Amino acid sequence: MTVAMARTTAGVYDRLFRPGQVHRDLYVDPQLFELEMRDLFGRTWVYVGHETEIPKPNDFVTRNLGRRPIILCRTTAGEIAVLINRCPHRGAVVCRSARGNAGGFTCGYHAWSFANDGRCAGLPLRHAYGEGFRLRDHDMARPARVASYRGFVFASMIADVPPLDEHLAGARRYIDQWLDRDDRKPVLVNNGVMRFRTHANWKTVYDNAGDGYHPPFSHESMLRVFAARYGDVDMKYFTADVDDSAMEAIDLGNGHTMLDQRPAMHAVSAWERQHVMPGREILEQRLFERFGAERGRQMLDASTGSGMNLNIFPNLLIIGNQVQRVDPLAVDETVIDWFSTSLAGAPDEINAARMRLQEDFPSFGEVDDSANFEACQAGLALVPELEWVDISRHLTTGRGRRGADGLWHEPVTSDRHMRAYFEAWKALMDAGSAARLREGGGR
Amino acid sequence: MNAHPAVPFSLDHYAALHDLVRSWRNLGEIPEERLPAPADGAACARLLAAEARLLDAGRLADWLALFTADCAYWLPTDVTGEDPAKFVAWEFNDRRRLEERVERLATGRAYSQAPPTRTVHLLSGLEMLTDGPDGMQVLANFLIQTNFAGRVGQRAGWTGYLLRRQHGRWRIALKRINLFDADLPQDNNSFTL
Repeated sequence: MTVAMARTTAGVYDRLFRPGQVHRDLYVDPQLFELEMRDLFGRTWVYVGHETEIPKPNDFVTRNLGRRPIILCRTTAGEIAVLINRCPHRGAVVCRSARGNAGGFTCGYHAWSFANDGRCAGLPLRHAYGEGFRLRDHDMARPARVASYRGFVFASMIADVPPLDEHLAGARRYIDQWLDRDDRKPVLVNNGVMRFRTHANWKTVYDNAGDGYHPPFSHESMLRVFAARYGDVDMKYFTADVDDSAMEAIDLGNGHTMLDQRPAMHAVSAWERQHVMPGREILEQRLFERFGAERGRQMLDASTGSGMNLNIFPNLLIIGNQVQRVDPLAVDETVIDWFSTSLAGAPDEINAARMRLQEDFPSFGEVDDSANFEACQAGLALVPELEWVDISRHLTTGRGRRGADGLWHEPVTSDRHMRAYFEAWKALMDAGSAARLREGGGR
Repeated sequence: MNAHPAVPFSLDHYAALHDLVRSWRNLGEIPEERLPAPADGAACARLLAAEARLLDAGRLADWLALFTADCAYWLPTDVTGEDPAKFVAWEFNDRRRLEERVERLATGRAYSQAPPTRTVHLLSGLEMLTDGPDGMQVLANFLIQTNFAGRVGQRAGWTGYLLRRQHGRWRIALKRINLFDADLPQDNNSFTL
């Protein structure tokens, strides 16, 4: 690369953005996807998993960090650790199980073995490596930074990132609110995962998570069935001009956003708004018998969907009662892991109700979202002459305002969510390409 | 398990379902005393053949008529037989939610099934165990050949059925569809398995 080109690299991604529009290459260019895995997922805090997924010493789960295979484990000493799941010897993936309990990991190729904090514990026939060989030079690698916020574990491949609390910015108070519903029983993320594969770019998923415009249209089939059976229930409040409602879209900084449905969903009683699900009557009856109707309903309200879409860039979505991890596999292939949650110490009826409630939207709504992600991917990929995607809602209406909380609030159908995260996207990608040029890594 | 059925979808019912799945997972050869009378076995096999045929023809209203009022259609996310009161399923539908599912697909706005997934349901290796005088448990492997908008696919696994004789006709009280890869990423399963 010439010096002249290097000088202009800071603006290499400028061509992808126009006011209120983004370029299709962001969704369909395989080279750009490779760069995202390096410069975006490799250079910021990425959500790995929740500490309650691995409650006991030696518990582990395997994950990806922008495609890099990693192990999230609780060490024998009880500490949270993240390991790059790659043998330092020949590069083989070491642990090949999705989850388990193990004091260490042994590579299947030459049996190099590692403690679950990554320390090299031994290897066969060591003498052939000579006198100077030291085990400690052959530990499994770890991301440069690992940190948790109230059980949510994040990792960064580079050390030069702001502290996690600072990175989460305005999202922290909403994580707190999501965790501290009702009487603050601890939320457990250990009740099964729905793993949806969608043949679309990972950003179509992130786009949708903060999209307050699509519900009455994408989810018309679901809303129509429930309205016909049960009247004004669920998200029927979206079938009006919701920009005049108390719901709103909030820019939390660093690409994180919040779509707040609580003013509508939780205005009176979320449980009463919730249409029936299997066991509704008997579980409600048993709870009311034990705790009285008022307290019983409070507990049920706090276990109905949260009314929050909390989007933490680039790969954590906290929606309803679920925690979603967005896992990019290829430019046009993404896995969305929906982790279900329960409440520690809650009555069994509450957690049984939570399971059935958490099956509702995925099978009645997410399936249509996923089909629309795939439809977007097809349209963007197949028509090279048409290059631009619109993200302009409420760009020019002047209806945004700075709230008393210091955050920027917009009407709920605003595309501020997309504009905000693409700004974070560009800052990270520009910094990444500049850093690789400095380090001489080139493209 | 249906001698004294618990209130559907109560904690007792979940416990009974959990036990039933465990018994299927631990089943060896079927004990002699639980082999069905030939006429009952043939009637149950006919019911499941009709079920597959109605699904493949997209006749979901007719398909629903094969289920009892207290039925469950259960598609777990795990392959380890977890407790349904504590573990989320891909789908765990009672009769109401199953009807709502069929109604959704009929709205013309169910974009996940536009166009509808075409299927061919194949069942093989049927094993039957009596469950009281009017109950039958059926285990069978399934293969579903699919085509969604030109994309060919397959789904595979085993199904556990609990059938019940009502007014002389066999009906489906439970259909538990055990995808062999239910815990791994799944494509669009919004058609009816």
